Amino acid sequence: MSAVAYDTLDARAAVLASDKQRARRVRFTVYAAVLFLVAWSIKVIVVDDTDWKRLFGASLLATIQQFLDVDMSVVKDLWEPALDTVLMATIATLAGLVLSIPVAWLGAANITPLGKSSYMVGRFLMTMSRSVHEIVWGLIFVSAVGLGTLAGILAMAVRSIGFISKTIAEAIEDVDPKPIEAMRAVGCTRFQILIFAILPQIVPVFVGNMIFEWDINIRRSTVLGLVGAGGLGLVLFRQMAMSNYGGITTVILAILVLIIFGEVVSHFARKAVI
Amino acid sequence: MQAERVPGAPRAPQAASIAAKPVLQVRNLRAGYGDKEILRDVSFTLNDDDFFAIIGPSGAGKSTLIRCVNRLVDPKGGEVIFDSVDLVKAPQKSLRNLRRNIGMIFQEFNLIERMSVMDNVLSGRLGYMGTLRSVFRLYSKQDIRQALILLDRVGLSEHVNKRVDRLSGGQRQRVGIARALIQNPKMLLVDEPTSALDPKIAREVMGLIREMARERKIPVLCNIHDVDLACAFCTRVIGLQDGVKKFEGPPDKLDKQALHDIYAMEVL
Amino acid sequence: MTVETLPAPLAWSRFRFPQSLYKYGALLGSLVFVAWALDHLQIPLDRLPGMLGRMWDTLSLRYYPPNVGHVLKPEYGHSLLETLQMSYLATVLGLAVAVPLAWFAASNMTPSKRFVYPVARLIIMACRSVHEMIWTILAVSLLGFGLLPGTLALTLYCIGFAGKLFSEAVEAVRPGPIEAMRATGANLFQVFIFAVLPQVRVAWTGISIYSWDVVFRAATVVGFFGAGGMGWYLRESVQRVASRDVAAILLSIIAIVVICELFSAWLRTRISRAIA
Repeated sequence: MSAVAYDTLDARAAVLASDKQRARRVRFTVYAAVLFLVAWSIKVIVVDDTDWKRLFGASLLATIQQFLDVDMSVVKDLWEPALDTVLMATIATLAGLVLSIPVAWLGAANITPLGKSSYMVGRFLMTMSRSVHEIVWGLIFVSAVGLGTLAGILAMAVRSIGFISKTIAEAIEDVDPKPIEAMRAVGCTRFQILIFAILPQIVPVFVGNMIFEWDINIRRSTVLGLVGAGGLGLVLFRQMAMSNYGGITTVILAILVLIIFGEVVSHFARKAVI
Repeated sequence: MQAERVPGAPRAPQAASIAAKPVLQVRNLRAGYGDKEILRDVSFTLNDDDFFAIIGPSGAGKSTLIRCVNRLVDPKGGEVIFDSVDLVKAPQKSLRNLRRNIGMIFQEFNLIERMSVMDNVLSGRLGYMGTLRSVFRLYSKQDIRQALILLDRVGLSEHVNKRVDRLSGGQRQRVGIARALIQNPKMLLVDEPTSALDPKIAREVMGLIREMARERKIPVLCNIHDVDLACAFCTRVIGLQDGVKKFEGPPDKLDKQALHDIYAMEVL
Repeated sequence: MTVETLPAPLAWSRFRFPQSLYKYGALLGSLVFVAWALDHLQIPLDRLPGMLGRMWDTLSLRYYPPNVGHVLKPEYGHSLLETLQMSYLATVLGLAVAVPLAWFAASNMTPSKRFVYPVARLIIMACRSVHEMIWTILAVSLLGFGLLPGTLALTLYCIGFAGKLFSEAVEAVRPGPIEAMRATGANLFQVFIFAVLPQVRVAWTGISIYSWDVVFRAATVVGFFGAGGMGWYLRESVQRVASRDVAAILLSIIAIVVICELFSAWLRTRISRAIA
């Protein structure tokens, strides 16, 4: 952009118009690229890969009907796994909290022990925990400790570290220095300062977020059973193995109920804490 | 009082005197960070019946001066002698014992927001309590009684169990006053106690601080930016400008010329 | 050295009935609950430290070294491309649906509070509550194995995810411009375009990129349940119990997802600076 002396209004308008044109061209290319990628994806996914015969055959409607034929006999076997699912999520969230404390300590810029390097380690651990899908964690832990609820709990705990430690670290970084100053002036030891000036500020923040994460973990807990980790997911897996479509529907409905229950509890619990 | 003393050595018993006893002696205090000088060679003596007001424009170093006295800020040089100990040279470990004898009242109250009034006042005793007792908040009956007496004195008996973030500004500052006094301090440091308060409440708070300090016969070192308020309550004024003491004397000597020196502006 | 000029005040105790009872009762109850839960789930706490050691042994013996060759085959690269395309299409479709849905689900902009608002919120909640893998299973049952069911499942996931974030952004908008537009007589659609969109576009762009990132992470795994892409490869290796292959695939998935996350984080900062 050269600095040109404008003599007339027309010259100024011309420059504006050409800028606008350039912006318009950029936007056009972006839209075109997006559309192209969409079209290509559609070709690959819809055109090439789809079983068209199945789609338009009568079998699709038949399958849907089978799903709608809800199998209520499954219900009596759902209570125990449902309880397991909730318990797994609860223990996992608590375990996640315990594991998150050192990670948050590393990842909080103001208290990290070794400066930039430990801070980066902390942040990296947070990212790793979040980047890996809970199913992948589930597979890893099933390989490591065998099938069962423990694998599911470990998978959820490790997955939760990302979120919980991030909120704790942020709360530590945003801590109000004024109570800290006051407690120093009173003659507190460093430990007393931690308990009285820092902790009361941090605890409400992360308790609220923990409840939020607990709710999400219930959701994760329901599918970890699909890779062998117990709870309702395992029941679902079995129904799938038996191709009992009606049963699948029942289990999915049960999962929905459980999740709604979790959302309600989490909503009120968070209100009580804040 | 000018004899050289080993820091930490007990004071020799003195003959009872009617004359005011010095509680704090600041000599040639220098403070700053890096190349920046905030306090240059400040000296004064605080006696037990004094109420010193430190005035001056913003950036003059008032906050730093107050904080050098209880070493919330580390001075670069000079001496701060409190209770026969030179705080500037005192080791880190002894700071706790020194600080618990100095009560501090803050501009923005610096309370622990989510805790109750009672818990905030009691936190003033933490300097006297061991780790285990403090974690479980096992204050002694004596402490609790004293807290209740103080809260009654500052007029907050009805709010004892309320969370402090539900109180008004004036009420919160009173909690701060009670917290400072439950330490049974030998001196009060007060940093702009009324900046966050409206004028009527400000006068009440200043009056309360002065009265309670007098009742306990302890001196007050107070930063304040409102010159009129300062003169109304203090016994002596220190004027700081750019880290240098430009004035020291009783409030009635604070005339236009002195104010001009301190604030470097035309005073109408 | 107290000033005892006042009559002795009332005593004070930390334990106030009944609040303290509730508080400490709840605390005690929680501990008992945790202990019971651990017992019920048969978690052997005493075996845990040993378990970690055994975990390390298992992983190092059976899963190390990962069979990198398995991952470098062209079919795998092909499946990576498919996964990218699935996630891309699903995000575009999902966002396209989420935009109007978010508008309907925002309490300050919804055209009809009685009907449209609760329905829109319900749809978003339903999409969110059901785990994307369950959507995948349902889609695969109906449509067979392949990329299409995966894409559909991911679209629903994206609608739930982005819909909630979008509508929250709309609800956080300043009411001033909205009032101004309404005062000029604009209809709700115009108000949305001219008063709301300019305020939310930065947040929405960030959310969109974040959504793609999250969808991609899920897309790498949906294949495990029949939807094609890298997950399908993984399933195939798991079924063959080819542990070293599984390790290689898992590591490659982790690596690719982390790269995508870094890329999307970078893109978010660049774009928000460009359009802010």
